[in-house]
Amino acid sequence: MSESEEPGFVAGLRESIGRSGSIWVARDPVNPAMIRHWCDAMGDHNPVYTDADAAARSIHAGIVAPPAMLMAWSMRGLEPAGEGPDDAEDPGTGVYRALDAAGFTSVVATNSEHDYIRYLRPGDELHSSQVVEDVSEEKKTGLGVGHFVTTRTEYRNQHGESVGRMLFRILKFKPGTGRMAQAGGQEAAERPMRPQPGISLDTAFFWEGLEAGELRIQQCGACSVLHHPPMVRCPQCGNYDLGWVEASGRGTVYSHVEPVHPAFAAFDPPYVVGLVELEEGTRLLTNIVDIDPEAVRVGMPVELVIRRENSQGSLPLFRPVCPPRSEVTRAGDAVAVGDELPPCPIPITTTLIISTAIASRDYQDVHHDRDLAMERGSPDIFMNILTTSGLCARYVTDWAGPEAVIKRLSLQLGVPNYPNDTMTLSGSVRSSEAGRVEVAIRGYNRLGNHVTANVELELPPASD
Amino acid sequence: MGMSFAGKTAVVGIGATDFSKNSGRSTLRLAVECSDAAIRDAGLRPEQIDGMVLFTVEDNHEIDVARNLGIPELTHFSRIHHSGGAACGTLHQAAMAVASGACNYCLVFRAFNERSETRFGVGVQNRAPAPTPMEVDFGWSSPFGLLTPASWVAMFARRYMHEFGATSEDFGRVAVADRKHAANNPKAHFYEKPISLEDHQQSRWIVKPLHLLDCCQESDGGQAFVVTTLERALDLPQPPAIIAAAAQGSAEDQQMMKSYYRDEITDIPEMGLCARQLWRDTGLGPSDIQTAILYDHFTPLVLPQLEEFGFCARGEAADFIRDGNIEIGGRLPINTNGGQLGEAYIHGMNGIAEGVRQIRGDSVNPVPGAQNVLVTAGTAVPTSALILSGSH
Ligand SMILES: [Zn+2]
Repeated sequence: MSESEEPGFVAGLRESIGRSGSIWVARDPVNPAMIRHWCDAMGDHNPVYTDADAAARSIHAGIVAPPAMLMAWSMRGLEPAGEGPDDAEDPGTGVYRALDAAGFTSVVATNSEHDYIRYLRPGDELHSSQVVEDVSEEKKTGLGVGHFVTTRTEYRNQHGESVGRMLFRILKFKPGTGRMAQAGGQEAAERPMRPQPGISLDTAFFWEGLEAGELRIQQCGACSVLHHPPMVRCPQCGNYDLGWVEASGRGTVYSHVEPVHPAFAAFDPPYVVGLVELEEGTRLLTNIVDIDPEAVRVGMPVELVIRRENSQGSLPLFRPVCPPRSEVTRAGDAVAVGDELPPCPIPITTTLIISTAIASRDYQDVHHDRDLAMERGSPDIFMNILTTSGLCARYVTDWAGPEAVIKRLSLQLGVPNYPNDTMTLSGSVRSSEAGRVEVAIRGYNRLGNHVTANVELELPPASD
Repeated sequence: MGMSFAGKTAVVGIGATDFSKNSGRSTLRLAVECSDAAIRDAGLRPEQIDGMVLFTVEDNHEIDVARNLGIPELTHFSRIHHSGGAACGTLHQAAMAVASGACNYCLVFRAFNERSETRFGVGVQNRAPAPTPMEVDFGWSSPFGLLTPASWVAMFARRYMHEFGATSEDFGRVAVADRKHAANNPKAHFYEKPISLEDHQQSRWIVKPLHLLDCCQESDGGQAFVVTTLERALDLPQPPAIIAAAAQGSAEDQQMMKSYYRDEITDIPEMGLCARQLWRDTGLGPSDIQTAILYDHFTPLVLPQLEEFGFCARGEAADFIRDGNIEIGGRLPINTNGGQLGEAYIHGMNGIAEGVRQIRGDSVNPVPGAQNVLVTAGTAVPTSALILSGSH
């Protein structure tokens, strides 16, 4: 119990626990336009959602909605005054309003667990009813002081058929009371500079190339052999006339380490130093960036990104390459415990955050209005939980194949996804039995771990 | 064609200071103390010393040490480059010097306050950029935060694990063997402090995949030797540790600590080059070696050393180690002084002294019938190695 709260405050909130609100009927039936909008925003190109012919030939025998949209169908959208149930009667809304009144005006979703009983199809009308499951004591979190509120929602279609369930947890907190409000941006400016390279007449071309936006590999003008580190004379043919070629920027991780001790002020832990083998054949040292260090593997495909870090000049860094979408659905017997999903980097842009928030009909200001987000103590707008769900679902089905059926998607959020970052998803198979596969996922950004998720899938049990 | 001095010179004196974390003395004092002890051990007087071979990275000057010891004249003085890779190279050079007649009694030493003054492990992040070969070389690694010896070695270790399926526990077994041997050595920092594999696995990360217990100590101390011809050695009090062969090696596309650009980075071709010379000059092979001191600044590079000398096939060192072969009682006990993980880190020189003690029969962990002892120097750098043999 905090001294900032009236005695009995939490007990009052908890009176709502177990009470059902009225049934809310989604404003629009499941429809292809919203599905397409969602798929465009999420970058989900699974044809069972948008390609009528392909969907008809699939196990779904027709277009289905992406399962992670479940909650989106019943979102109220932008200020639908007078259309909903009487808000004051709704137990969830009542709890949120009481928390608002007590100063816990900011909100962030922290957990969601979706059970998909069956995929929704165009024409389905979603009926939902919500129960407050828990209201926590006051907690100190990275975002601020607040209360966790857990709700459970049942989804049925117009025929009363149960189609899905959701457990949802949000944090209602007082803006400006957490350390994350101060994070981001400023620290980087105060960091000392990285060690600068010694540059000689023989190596200047390499560093000049980076300033010109390209990675150069020394090449013998006579016999065309490539050399790195650069030489002054080609040992193959004796020629002193050495030029360079621009590298494609594609390569694989040949080896990698994660320095831990001693700590260096110029390098934010955790960081990975990689030895990358370029597709041209030479190797170079670099940082493997935009990835959870624990997910880096020897042999992993990577691509060049030239960045000025806290460095005098630009540096050649490498990040994972998003794997191509699997056109064929994996069979359960071809998936083994411990199998790893190739990491997939997703650039987090303002456009992505806003377009996905709107595609999920989430008009919380913190997901589209920077000024209001900052007023609420956030350094910028940030990604909503439905988008994180959608991206996790896309990541898993892009790996498992178009006809993989998601049965369950549960996730817990960590640090936010702010604009101008990259979230890299990585995952591994936790269990696989008779076509029922569970995949554990982590989404990692510059601030740390954004999401930890578990996805349960149904795959065709055996390959033909 | 072999080297003409092979088998014709010997180590006749060894001497060391205490090994500590804070010597409380200058490095000059350490150098003079250990040299004094080695000269006495050899049954010589300082004025008989007329040659000196040091590491390039040795801070002490030959002339200061000579002045303090009362060595009036030196007819040979030279230095060997490449840090720990110089260890056996100094004796190689001393052997050549006495065999050629450039000098008669050659003093070799290494002394530093590596723990209390100049720690190698703190990193190279504060070097000023310059167009010099060394800074250009650091330019390929330091801007990315690859700044410490442990990190340079870890890069090889990760690739070795990937190619051969070796694990952190396989590296840990080297540490466990070293510490088991150190536990019997009163001069060792880790005297009576053996570790388990579990201790190794639980020790904190230094550079993934290396744990703290994969890394050698940081030590203050000095270690010295006197080398002369075998002919003169037979007139001296100590049983000679014959330098049956000594060799240096630098291989194709050699880099300092970061030979990452070769076709393979899981072997140590410069050590293989040393091995070929040693086997050629002695006529010996792996089965003739009873015990070895394998350079152990970091555990992972002990494995490919076993492979380069043919104690096991390529990629199979982890199996060789798993079978207990490197501990006392095994096929090839290594680092019987406790190595640089267990005894002290004196840039490989304390290991050469242990090789001499095995030949003399006064090691704290004597290997029965130790007639030929292999000693290696720093790995991941241009390096050196030697075989010490008994005279009977
Ligand atoms: Zn050429």
